[in-house]
Amino acid sequence: MQASGKLYQWIINIVMLVFTFFCIMPFWLLFSASLTDDMELVRSGYAFFPDKISFSAYHYLWNSSSDIIRAYSITVLTTIIGTTLGLTLTAMVAYPLSRIEMPFRNTLAFYVFFTMLFNGGLVPTYLLYTNYFDLKNTMLALIIPGLLMNGFFIILMRTFFASSIPTAIIESAYIDGAREWKIFYRIVLPLSTPVLATVGLFYTILYWNDWFNGLIYLTDSHYYSLQNLLNRILLDVQFLQSSTQAGSRNADIGANIPLAPMRMAMAAIGVIPLLIAYPFFQKYFVKGLTIGAVKG
Amino acid sequence: MRKNKFVAKTLLLIVLAFAMVISACGNGDNKSTNAGNDGKTAEGKSGNSSGELKPVELVMVFPVGGEPKDLKLVQDEINKMTKAKINATVKLVPIGFGAWAQQKTLMMSGNEQVDLIVSGLGTYSQDVAKGQLLELDGYLAENGQGVTEALDSLDTAFLNATRIDGKIYAVPSIRDLAADYGITMRKDLVEKYNIDTAAIKSLDDLDVVFKTIKDNEPDMIPTVKYGTSILDIYVLSYFDNLGEGFGVLPGYDNDLKVVNMYETPEYAEMLNTVRRWNQTGYIAKDAATSTETQYNLVKSGKAFSFISHMKPGIETQESRSTGKEMVSVHFRPAATATYNITSVMWSIARNSKDPERAMMLLNMMYTDKDFINLLDYGIENKHYVKVSDNVIDYPQGVDATSSGYNLQMGWMFGNQSLSHIWNGDDPELWNQLAEFNRNAVKSKALGFTFNADAVKTEIAAVTNVQNQYKIALETGTVDPIAKLPEFNKQLKAAGIDKIIAEKQKQLDAWAAAKK
Repeated sequence: MQASGKLYQWIINIVMLVFTFFCIMPFWLLFSASLTDDMELVRSGYAFFPDKISFSAYHYLWNSSSDIIRAYSITVLTTIIGTTLGLTLTAMVAYPLSRIEMPFRNTLAFYVFFTMLFNGGLVPTYLLYTNYFDLKNTMLALIIPGLLMNGFFIILMRTFFASSIPTAIIESAYIDGAREWKIFYRIVLPLSTPVLATVGLFYTILYWNDWFNGLIYLTDSHYYSLQNLLNRILLDVQFLQSSTQAGSRNADIGANIPLAPMRMAMAAIGVIPLLIAYPFFQKYFVKGLTIGAVKG
Repeated sequence: MRKNKFVAKTLLLIVLAFAMVISACGNGDNKSTNAGNDGKTAEGKSGNSSGELKPVELVMVFPVGGEPKDLKLVQDEINKMTKAKINATVKLVPIGFGAWAQQKTLMMSGNEQVDLIVSGLGTYSQDVAKGQLLELDGYLAENGQGVTEALDSLDTAFLNATRIDGKIYAVPSIRDLAADYGITMRKDLVEKYNIDTAAIKSLDDLDVVFKTIKDNEPDMIPTVKYGTSILDIYVLSYFDNLGEGFGVLPGYDNDLKVVNMYETPEYAEMLNTVRRWNQTGYIAKDAATSTETQYNLVKSGKAFSFISHMKPGIETQESRSTGKEMVSVHFRPAATATYNITSVMWSIARNSKDPERAMMLLNMMYTDKDFINLLDYGIENKHYVKVSDNVIDYPQGVDATSSGYNLQMGWMFGNQSLSHIWNGDDPELWNQLAEFNRNAVKSKALGFTFNADAVKTEIAAVTNVQNQYKIALETGTVDPIAKLPEFNKQLKAAGIDKIIAEKQKQLDAWAAAKK
């Protein structure tokens, strides 16, 4: 009995180790490529342990640091503002929807749900944001379109509020004289840290990784975020390598594109903050995943 | 009930608060742009140097490889110049090549102000069909005589090549409007092994050269791909690809009879050559899948040569891109097809606020030496210095990477032949280029632009088949004797004949209308 339990542990651990290894390997390759001498990389390709270690890629990033640092601070700023704002608004929509007494509750819930399935399409969305809200080439373009409110998160939170906050608590607070606002931020929110952390992390990742808004709404390089900068460089490379027809011009431009190690180094510095932040969120995250489970 | 009302009120409040936040932001932006505009208008009125012309702001949109740091400074200089000459200010809007297709489409589909825009880059006929570009004939006659003269002095065929249904919607920049073909090699190695460049007259003469390299430099790949394969660009020296290459004109003539390139004996012959090279080890084993550019490969010392399209002055250009001294052998004559001309052009967008003034600006781009040099090279003594009257170089302490304005895209901004010559290039380069353009073989179908709308599905299907076979065949990775017939069979199944028939129909109609 005990022996089989031990064997079981061993197998589980080995499977997990192998799995972890496969998760870490691509990262390791990314880091090692960013540390490889660029000409070495062309000559002998990617290797897990480069023959010749070179910090030239990081050196290059440091030298062009004004761009990178600005992009970095834009990313950090949009992530912080976006997450805070997104979380606040999501909670403020989700909570009323979770209360049965709320008028038009189902209509509103359907409205939220509807946005999960359908949207206006790219061109109308673009026209709305650029012509009517004047978001083009502003920081808001990185925060609002497509990211700020997410139907899925609202429904996730509503489910949590409805199932994990007993109505009795809300009623007792009401009897004690608390008004809706007070109930919301003194009773409901403190009880909801798991879901707040979960959705907060989702928002953080969404904002941190977003490049699409930048691609669509920005022509001014002043507002490029890190992922956007990286994405543009990769797209430029792709463009230069494809298209033969209009492409007789392409060769003339290729010289300005950073080489592979620089791209890897950018990806590396782009991913580090999230790797660092993740463990701090993790304990909430685990709790958050059990949202919806029946509690005693 | 009371409670319900309260909740509803709260919700309403939240919605209102949110709306206010949004509209406040919106207003803020509006105010700031308004203030900006007011400032400009006021400025314009005080400095009213060009008579009755009202001040306007013109938006110029073009693709770049990366936005230069000093773009705003250059823009300010440009504005001083345009203010004095046509009482207009110019806003430069560069868009990265990667984002170009997406952002251009969005900008043109809304009513955002775009005055001058680079058209072409493969989407000219679609953009015209969508009605996004203005017809230019009238504007050219009125305010753009400089453009017409500059282009017609080369050959009237060039401007006519842009006509769609008899009308001009875009004007090509003056650059290399034709291409010849050949091989570019490492100069040091050519000299070291006494390679006789004069003896190279065709692809088959290259075997000797590659053998020498292979025997003496075992670590080096004798030739690498350019574009997507070894032959990708080179086939254009035999065929006018009439757009996308499904249905071509052999020898740029063939009495306007469209054929399937992949069935021609010339193509099969080229594939055999490449296959032989691959078997002998003159081509890297991973050539079909490698994504490294030819420049990086040569720069790192791994590759010896590449076969490509060319123009006068190609050697210095490729030497710069690879960081090694290169030598080029041109062994296929220069030819011009529609795509050589329509690949980079300037148009006035439908969204233009003032098309007449946009044309004036375009006219400056073809006639005003100072304006062109500003766009091409930046500000004198800051981004370049004059070495002699017409030859320029980096200022002391500045190089290609540290320069604040180093687009190197003179081929895009209007009339390149009026720009300075970069140190190292032949001082006679622009004259050579003009001769090159004049003397190039003009395709019999020059000016024909294929409208692929009717055969869209076939094109998608045929492209899929092409993606599957073309690169493997043209890098010699697979045996053409077995695979080429298979490729052609698949192309037929996917509907290439229908595309060719449609193309032939349009070409005949075009030829008839031209007479």
